[in-house]
Formats: sequence, structure tokens, C-alpha cells
Amino acid sequence: MKIRQIQQVLIALLVVSLLAACGGDATPTSAPADSGGSAEPTSSSGQAAPSGEPIPIGVAVAQTSNVSLFGQEQVTGAKIAEQYFNDNGGVNGRPIKLIFQDTAGDEAGAINAFQTLINQDKVVAIVGPTLSQQAFSADPIAVQNKVPVVGPSNTAGGIPQIGEYVSRVSAPVSAVAPNAIRYALDQNPDIKKVAVLYAQNDAFSKSETVVFQRAVTDTYKLELAPVQTFQTTDTDFTTQATAVLNEKPDLVIISGLATDGGNLVKQLRELGYTGPIIGGNGFNTTNIFPVCQRFCDGIILAQAYSYQQESEINQAFRKAYKDAQGKEPPQFSAQAFAGVQVIVEALRKLGDLSSMALEQTREQLNQQILAGTYETPLGQLSFTPEGDINQSTFYVAVIKMNDSGTDGTFEFVK
Amino acid sequence: MSDFFNTYGSLIVFMVLNALLALSLYLPLMAGQLSLASPGFFALGGYIAAIMSTKVFHVEAGAYPLGYVLIEMLLAALASGVLALIVGIPSLRLRGIYLALATIAFIEIVRVLSLTLEITGGAVGIFGIPQPFGTPLGYLWLALPLLIVAALAIWRLERVRVGRAFNAIRADELAAGAMGINTTYHKVLAFTLGAILAGIVGVVYAHVLNTWNARQGTFEAGVAYLTYVLIGGSRTVVGPIVGGLALTALPEVLRSLGGESLPTWLNNFLNSGQSIIYGTLIVLSTTFFPQGLITPRLLRFWRRTRASNDQ
Repeated sequence: MKIRQIQQVLIALLVVSLLAACGGDATPTSAPADSGGSAEPTSSSGQAAPSGEPIPIGVAVAQTSNVSLFGQEQVTGAKIAEQYFNDNGGVNGRPIKLIFQDTAGDEAGAINAFQTLINQDKVVAIVGPTLSQQAFSADPIAVQNKVPVVGPSNTAGGIPQIGEYVSRVSAPVSAVAPNAIRYALDQNPDIKKVAVLYAQNDAFSKSETVVFQRAVTDTYKLELAPVQTFQTTDTDFTTQATAVLNEKPDLVIISGLATDGGNLVKQLRELGYTGPIIGGNGFNTTNIFPVCQRFCDGIILAQAYSYQQESEINQAFRKAYKDAQGKEPPQFSAQAFAGVQVIVEALRKLGDLSSMALEQTREQLNQQILAGTYETPLGQLSFTPEGDINQSTFYVAVIKMNDSGTDGTFEFVK
Repeated sequence: MSDFFNTYGSLIVFMVLNALLALSLYLPLMAGQLSLASPGFFALGGYIAAIMSTKVFHVEAGAYPLGYVLIEMLLAALASGVLALIVGIPSLRLRGIYLALATIAFIEIVRVLSLTLEITGGAVGIFGIPQPFGTPLGYLWLALPLLIVAALAIWRLERVRVGRAFNAIRADELAAGAMGINTTYHKVLAFTLGAILAGIVGVVYAHVLNTWNARQGTFEAGVAYLTYVLIGGSRTVVGPIVGGLALTALPEVLRSLGGESLPTWLNNFLNSGQSIIYGTLIVLSTTFFPQGLITPRLLRFWRRTRASNDQ
């Protein structure tokens, strides 16, 4: 009998929680920035918003799930941006307020987070989501609702083409990756034969390897050994490493993530490969050091961000990041910062927001975002009319490990 | 109220679709077969919708015709049915945990194929799937009738000869065979019906998501559907539906519970501790209610209480 009562209580709890979702809707979790909102745009002109009322900007990244390693770096970057711009006058005297909604790692989660930000939190623009696949899923929602989206880390082809409200501050792989090959060729002009490996189940690696292969065969006219594939979940790469060694390449290019890529590098070196190795953007994290240890030494990486970039804003960002985290800022944090920055600077140019209805703000903000040029920690950037990024500089780094092989640094060479 | 539907339109659709997926797992379970193959057929249906709508039917402007979606659903149902027969006949010779393993292998094959084939777009997948409705909530026109029809059909199925045969096989396969029930036929039938349902749901899901890739319909998704069934209740048709609806909504409910009025730590916990709450609920329900929350006994108990109240 008792069990049955508990059972009914649990069911009741589930039902009540569903109703609570409806009830919770009546009081939006945060105050809308522009009084009036979608219901009655005319009323907003009558009552000017108080100067202290913050402007809500949405951040929808993967704070949980297996993508959260990237998402949490993005949260850190965005929070530094919020602090930095509020300390520097906000938007013409009004502070900004970032509203975070977790997308988790899947497409449905991204859609739900976008819907909540757009309809409930009434944000003026959104920075997100983390993965390109999530962007393909959630960005159309923003386009339908005419809300500007700035992608902080969506690098696949076709993202800006989703709609006129979509732009990104993450350079597509086609722009970043070939820089590493150029550097390797500068170092060693005798390179003739190149072996390429990639993680077949990772969308980013798949797009990246196409770019690498095209650069090898078309741009630099080098010989390409048969391409080897692996899975990000693999741990044993003997087959691939042996196949690569049999081809006797002068250069190896790997597109993968930190764990699998690091292990692959380690096993390649252990089997006797001594030539240069280029790593894809997935290697662009300090998490790789413990995986390949002393074998990481010498891996060449092309990057969209360098913490050594000398601009004033990057040094401010780097300092804030170091104070908070105790290490150098990674690319994902810098890109999230740049995403928030682009929105804030565009908002500043819009002038008095209190006289505008939310739809109008969003529409004009989008035009302003695309029109501007921005000095960000990534360097100077602007947008194509479609919303793709024009980034002026890219960087090449080489991994340097310490003698014991326990820790290392990215040494920027270009 | 319109704000509510704008915010939760997609969520309501996901809830209904996940309830349908739970039903697709419940169908083989009716005949006692623990099969995790649903996500594979779900992925197949999604790819059929994605390929047909982006490469075969070219719709330049305006809404994607609903008729095309129905054609895709029909195609997905056919393809899933045929594939289920091919997969089902050999694999249903296996029992219990071995069948579950074989179906996991099937999901992996589908996943690896979709990663390698050109037509499925590799790991990036297919994007820009056209929309038949202007708002996410419009998909309820497809999803809700589908749920009602599926639920009624299964409810009815449990009360006719075939359903009783399923029940007998679940209770004791050997005894059922000895009573003259063709166990292979009935097991394959239950498996195929579940596969067809999963394939059809995949079509709708692909349109809702705007994109389709190899991350859909994986083993993890299969475990999630199984959770819907196990927590909701694996002995009545109401169980998987309630499980699918409630467990899909749960993370979003926790998200909306957070707000400015709460202390920061509680707010943070509701926002980022969703998986902890979710996991705790799963552990609690499976420990105390191994048959799921909604059991036939509970339904009977409710019916009796209502009857005695009426008198």
C-alpha cells in the first residue's frame, strides 16, 4: 500500500512539474530590455527605459554533455567580455547582461535554448551554439524570429548561408588550415609526399581534412599518400600508423581531437616516424599535453587566435583570463569574447535603444553587426555581406614540451 | 499564452515525438524482446527525409508541401519494414541480452555507414532541410495524430489475438510455442512494427531539427528511449507515452524553474545540475518501481477508486 502511495506521489510530482513549466512562463526569468516587447510596440516610446536597465544578450553554448569542454571555455570568454564592456561604459551608459542557456551537446537542446532566449528572455542577439551541427539546427529558428546570431565556433561550410541573421566570428577551416602547410614548407622545402589522417566521426575533422587535402594537391602540388581514417573513440592506431610509415611520407597531417589525435601522434613516433607533423584545430588545446607527452614536441598548428597578439584589447582579455583561470586563454574563449564584442559595439552605434521596439532593435542590430569593423582579441575582423568572417591575421604555433614531457606551451612562430 | 507556445512549441513537439519513439521500443518489448534497434530505423527515416527533401524534391520558395512529407513517411515506413524483416529474422533467433547486443551492432552499422557514404554527408550530415510549417508548433499537426493513432492501435492490439500471443511469448516463449503460437512470426511482427514506427518518426524529426547527421539515432539515444519505457512503465501502453513526455520535458522544466527570485546557488544548480537531478530520478524510480511508474495494477486501482466514487 505504501509503495503505491509513493508511486502516486512521484507521478503527481512529474505532472505538477509539467504544470510548473506553464506557470513559470507567466513571469519571464529576466526583465525584457525594451519595455513593450513584441505585444505592443507602441507603448515603448511613451515610457523610456531607466538608464540602468541592462540589455540582455543571449549565450547558448554547450555547458554540459561531452561538448562541454569547449562550451565552458566559451562561457569563461563571454563572462570576461560582459565584465570588460560593462566596466568600459556598457552600451551608451546602459549595462549589458548575458543570459546563459545550456544547449547540451545535441540539436534538440540547441533549439530549446534558442527558443527560450528569443521568446522568454527576449534577448537582442545570441552568441552560439558550440557545434556546427547544432547551428544548422538552431540558427533557422533565429532566422525565422529575425534575431541576430553570432556563431563563436561554427566552422563548417554553409553556416552564414543559413539566413541573413546568421554571422560568425570563427574563421572557416578553409582559411585557417593551409597556413600550417605553408609554414612546414618554409621550414623544409624538400617535402614531396604527404600522408593525411582524419577522425571520420567528427564533423570538424571531416571538413578540415578536405581543406588540407585540397591544399596539398592543388595549392602546393605535393604527392598525397592514401588517406587513413580513424574514430575519435579509438585508442589503438597501429594499423593507421603502419600504413602511413609504409608510404614513407615527408609530412603527416592529422585532423582529430585531443585524445585520439594525441595517441595517434604518440604511436606514430613510437613506431619510428621522425618527420614533421601538422595537427588540426582539434589539437589546439593544452589537454593534448598529457596524452602524447614528450612526443607532442614539434607538432605544428594553425590557429585563429594567438594570446601573444599585441593589441590592447587582447592584452586586457589575456590578463583578465589569466587572473581568473591561472593559464593562457584558449581560442574558444577568445572567439566567445569576440562574439559578445561584435554585438556590444554594434549596439553602441545604434544609439538610443529605448525608443525602439524589440523587433526593430534586432533588425537594425543585425545590419549594424554586418557593417562594422572590429578590433578584437582575434585581430581586426569584419563580415562579408553574407555574414562570414573576414579575419586579417592567422597564426602558426609549434608545441614545445619541457624536458620531462609533463607540460608544454604553444610557441607562436607566425 | 502565445509566449508560452512560442517558447515551448519545439519542446512540445519533441515530447510527442519522443513518446512515439518510446512506443517503438515498447512494441518489441510487448513480445518480450529487448531490442535497441529503434534508433537505427529512426536514423534511416531521418536520412530518407533529408535526402528526399534536399536532393529529390526541389522546392524553391515558400513552405515545403505537406504531401511530400507524407510521401517521405510512406517511403520510410516501407524501407524500415523491409530492413526490419531482413535484420529481424536472423537476429530474433537470439534471446535476451544477445538480441540486445545484436541490435546495438545494427545501430553501429547504420552509424558507420552514414559516416562513410557520400550521400549522407559524412560527419557533417545534411543541412537546410525545408520546413512544411511556419512555426515549430505546426509539427503537432503531424506528431499528435501520429501519437494518437499509434497509441490507439497498440491499445487495441493488446486486446486481440496477436497481442495476446505477444503477451504469451513474453511470459514464457517455450510454453507459448508449445501452445501452438508461431513464436518467430510474432516476434518478427512486433520487431517490424516498432521499426516502421521509428522510421516514420525519423522523417518528422529530421524536418523539426532542420538537419540530420550521424549523431542522431545512436546507441545513447537508444538507451534514452529505453529509460522512457522503463520509468514510464513497460507493461501498459500508457507507460512509455507518459515516460517519453515527462522525461523529455524534465530538463526544460528545470531550466524554467531557475529564475532571478531564487538564491544564486539554487539557480545555478537548476541550470547546470540537470543531469544530476535526472540521474537521481532514474535511480529512484528503477529501485522502487522496477515495472515502471505506471503499472497495470495501478491503472486497475485507479479504475476501482473511480468506480467506487461514482456509486
